Amino acid sequence: MLSDDIRKALGPLNLEKVESGDYSKTGYHLEVAAKPAQMPEVAQAMLAQGCFLESLTALHFREHFTLVYHFAHYDELCRTVVHAMLPIGQKAPTISHIYPGANWYEREVYDLFGVRFTGHPDLRRILLPFDADFHPLLKEFEEIVEESESKANA
Amino acid sequence: MLEPLEEKRYVLNLGPQHPATHGVLRVELEMEGEFIVKADPDIGYGHRAHEHMAENRNYLQFLPNMGRVDYLHALAYNQGYCMAVEKLIGLQVPERAEYIRVITSELNRISSHLLWFGAFLMDLGAFTPFLYCFDDRENILDLLDRVTGSRLTYCYYRFGGVPQDIDQEFIDGCRAFVKRLRGRWKDYDNLVTKNIIFIERTKGIGVITKEQCMLYGLTGPMVRGSGIPYDIRKKEPYSAYPQFDFEIPVGENGDTMDRYLVRLREMEQSLRIIEQALDKLPNGPIMAEKVPKRIKPAAGEVYAAVEAARGEFGCYIVSQGDVKPYRIKLRVPSYANLSILPEIAVDTLVADLVAILGSIDVVVPEIDR
Repeated sequence: MLSDDIRKALGPLNLEKVESGDYSKTGYHLEVAAKPAQMPEVAQAMLAQGCFLESLTALHFREHFTLVYHFAHYDELCRTVVHAMLPIGQKAPTISHIYPGANWYEREVYDLFGVRFTGHPDLRRILLPFDADFHPLLKEFEEIVEESESKANA
Repeated sequence: MLEPLEEKRYVLNLGPQHPATHGVLRVELEMEGEFIVKADPDIGYGHRAHEHMAENRNYLQFLPNMGRVDYLHALAYNQGYCMAVEKLIGLQVPERAEYIRVITSELNRISSHLLWFGAFLMDLGAFTPFLYCFDDRENILDLLDRVTGSRLTYCYYRFGGVPQDIDQEFIDGCRAFVKRLRGRWKDYDNLVTKNIIFIERTKGIGVITKEQCMLYGLTGPMVRGSGIPYDIRKKEPYSAYPQFDFEIPVGENGDTMDRYLVRLREMEQSLRIIEQALDKLPNGPIMAEKVPKRIKPAAGEVYAAVEAARGEFGCYIVSQGDVKPYRIKLRVPSYANLSILPEIAVDTLVADLVAILGSIDVVVPEIDR
């Protein structure tokens, strides 16, 4: 089983979480949590298992970003998701030297969220104009708070 | 005596308004004589912020957006998004609805491939095939118009099924169309596949290895052209696909010619699926019972993948227990598929780049989202 092989390969990396997922509910066979600094090692291990990078995106929460990496395999059905919590203001290491396909995905995450990847060869905006001065998918937490407070006061 | 001209590099701008880029795609080419030294695609001209829109409306309100991401195979996107939401709220789709989804989605796939066929060959300088395939494609648009109510940007599936049943006229029309298109393959082969100019323009051009497929996360006809039989319909069966008998055509060399052949053969496989689905079409409801009027999934996340005409479309939804999704990421196939262009374009001619771009089958609005 591929998921067992991946578990074995990820074992020595001391990750926060390596658990089997509930495929019928989430579409994941394996759920992994790692630190952003561990991502190059994780990507290397996934590549050695023959997985390809399906998608890379980010989620914006109040205290942190969560980078979400999806890996899948051409021969065997096994989708692995890796969540990496990144404190706001910090940089994550790139995996584009391992998966060249990550180059554009990381540019997209930078473009939409402003997350910077260290070691990326060409971290420019990709979807928005090069001279845009905002990152559109950042949530506006302060405004939400103010709104609910003003409602409570009214 | 004339001195040989000094070799100089120059920059050539392909697009954004160029007939071979199918939408607004700009490729900045660094040239040395006739050869490309560096290619840098510049995307985003048609960015409509679909993912941002998703965060500002409820689940149902976002559904029509799905017809506008990849407008050529809109029903696959409808299906991917519906599947993700159905997974999120635990909704079971009745069998008849799944069959109808398969039939309409496969029809849509053929129409997408037919348009690609015409446009690709037009890029290579052949105008006539375009007229043939648009003649065929028109039949599909009429058929889909009948059930979905639109000829493009379909929004036909709903959470839990489909809103309108298919009728006998549609079924007869499908059968007539299957018969008609089967009779056309010979014409297509004679007109294009055996054409010596076409062969010279595509054989050995834009070769992609299996290794490159993996590194760039390519999907769809791009990997199948390179000999990897990766098709979500088989590898990660969804909807009613496990009940049909069909093959995954694969190429050998991973060149432009192979990607062409894969798509051409895929259309025949889609016809087979449609035929079987029409034969086995079960009776019953087309909509799940008890579809909640207000969709408010519990906190959690879900990833659902479908095989669209260009590759894997993945819909990643994160819910925080609200009526609006917290985040929707659309994993679109053309994005990864185009990202390999800088690597395979090096040392080719501009004319070859046009052939390669055509064989990637990019739909730029899908990349831009």
